[in-house]
Order: sequence, then C-alpha cells, then structure tokens
Amino acid sequence: MHRKLIRACVPYALVTLLFAGVSAPLGAQDIQTQELGRAYWHVFAAYAIAWVVILGWIVSVARRLARVEARLND
Amino acid sequence: MSRRLSWAGLLPALTGGIMVLVLHWLVFFYVPTEAAQGLIQRIFYIHVPAAWVAFMAFGIVALCSAVYLWLGDERLDMAAVSAAEGGMIFTTIVLLTGPLWGRVAWGTWWTWEPRLTFTLLLWFIYLGYFMVRSATESPERGRRFAAVLGIVGAVDIPLIHLSVVWFRSLHPQPVVLKPEGPTLPPEMLLTLMLGFVSFTLLFFGMTHFRYGLERTRIEAAGRESRDGGIEP
Repeated sequence: MHRKLIRACVPYALVTLLFAGVSAPLGAQDIQTQELGRAYWHVFAAYAIAWVVILGWIVSVARRLARVEARLND
Repeated sequence: MSRRLSWAGLLPALTGGIMVLVLHWLVFFYVPTEAAQGLIQRIFYIHVPAAWVAFMAFGIVALCSAVYLWLGDERLDMAAVSAAEGGMIFTTIVLLTGPLWGRVAWGTWWTWEPRLTFTLLLWFIYLGYFMVRSATESPERGRRFAAVLGIVGAVDIPLIHLSVVWFRSLHPQPVVLKPEGPTLPPEMLLTLMLGFVSFTLLFFGMTHFRYGLERTRIEAAGRESRDGGIEP
C-alpha cells in the first residue's frame, strides 16, 4: 500500500516540479525583489501537502471501510 | 469493489479529482502572476477553496447536529461525523498551506493574528468533536455531546470570515465575498471558482464514502451486539 502511494506520488512530484520550472520566468520577470527560490519551494510544498493530505484521507477511508466490511462478513 | 462504493459518491469524487488536475494547469500555465506578491500568491488557489470547503463542512455538521438533537435520527449524526472528518482534512490543508504562504509574504510562519487564531481554534474544536464521541461510556451520550460541540464550533466560522473586518489583521480584506462583488481579475476569479467547485465535489464524494463507512460500522456493531451481547 505504501509503495503504491509512493509510486503514485513520484510522477505528481515530477510534474509539479516541471510546472514550477516552466512557469518560473513569469515570476522572475514580474517580481524583482522576491526570494524566488524559496517561493517556488513553498508553492510546490503547499500543493504537495494538499495532495498528500487528500490522498491520505482517501486511503484511510478505503482501509477502514474494507476492515469494517470484513468484520461484517465474518 | 466494496458494495458501499456507489456512483453517487464516485461521480462527484472523480469529477472533482479531474477538475483539480485542470485547476493545476490553470494555476501554473494560465493565471497571471500577482503583481505585489509574485509566485507565492499561487497558493491562494488551494488555500482559499480548502477554507471554503472546511467552512461548508462545519456548517453541515452544525445543521445536521441541530436536527439530530431535535429528531434523534442517527442518520443525521452519521452525516455530521462524516462532514466533520472532511472539515478537519480541509482545515488541516488550510493550516499547513497558510504558513508556507505567510513565511514568504509576511516573513513569518505563524503569528497570533485573529484569523489564524480563530482557524486554529476551529481545528481544535472539531478535534474535540471526535474526542468527545469516544470519551463517554454511552455512545448515545457521546453523540449528543459532540452534536452540541458541532453547533458551538460553527459560531467560529463567521468570526474567521469577519475577523479581517473587525480586527487589525495581516490577512487582506475579502476579495470575493463582499457586498459590491468580487474584485479579482477574471483569470484569477475563474481559477479560484474552479478550485471552489473541484474541492466541493471532492468533499461531497468523499463524505458520501465516509457516510457509508459510518453506516457499515454501526451495522457491524449492531450485529456483533446481537450475536455476542457486545456493546455497540
């Protein structure tokens, strides 16, 4: 289950990093003074955290449901 | 596949999931970079929709809890606890993404300003909601205590929204929910609206499954109680 989760998260992380890289020049042109490296990292972290929390919730509900259904079927 | 998985839950959850992917495309390729804050403002498109879903979830908790206390229908309590779990999830997202934004925009991870404090309070109130349910000897009593807490907790929602108007706050004034209408540029408004819709669909889909879980759990507990004289 954990391996599956990691396998699912890795492509997302790569795609998000790619997106952040592609959109990088926009931010750099508009904002002269901002610490861009930190901003990229924080935006990536925020979106990744949101995904991890939501995926964790989905996995948690699915596992609990499977457990209770197994209990019900016993 | 679980017999509790139905299209009533799958359809909104899958649609919401697909729309979240479209939201990512809009956030990183379509929406312009905000002039004052720059790239970090893109956190706005998940932070604000997550806050909206959390408020809606706790509104549902309060409504279902109030009617549960009135009618005593267990299904309303099941709906309330399912919505409360979703509310906790989305409040957690708000509380985790906010400091990441704040560190760059304000120079600090956390400050005890009204909106942040009220949001953290909301998270703790609903943590208490779950703790109260399992802290009493009688499940029925726990459900009733939790329902009261669910109603009281919802009072915090307007406080969070209006705290930026009533108190001095680092958060900006409302840009969408205001009497004269939204003041965001159209691209930003479209992206934000897609965030609202996708997160809302995801919430309703997942809450449907969570409701199925609660119903199955009660069914299993009832059966065990009948078979072996165990307390449900």
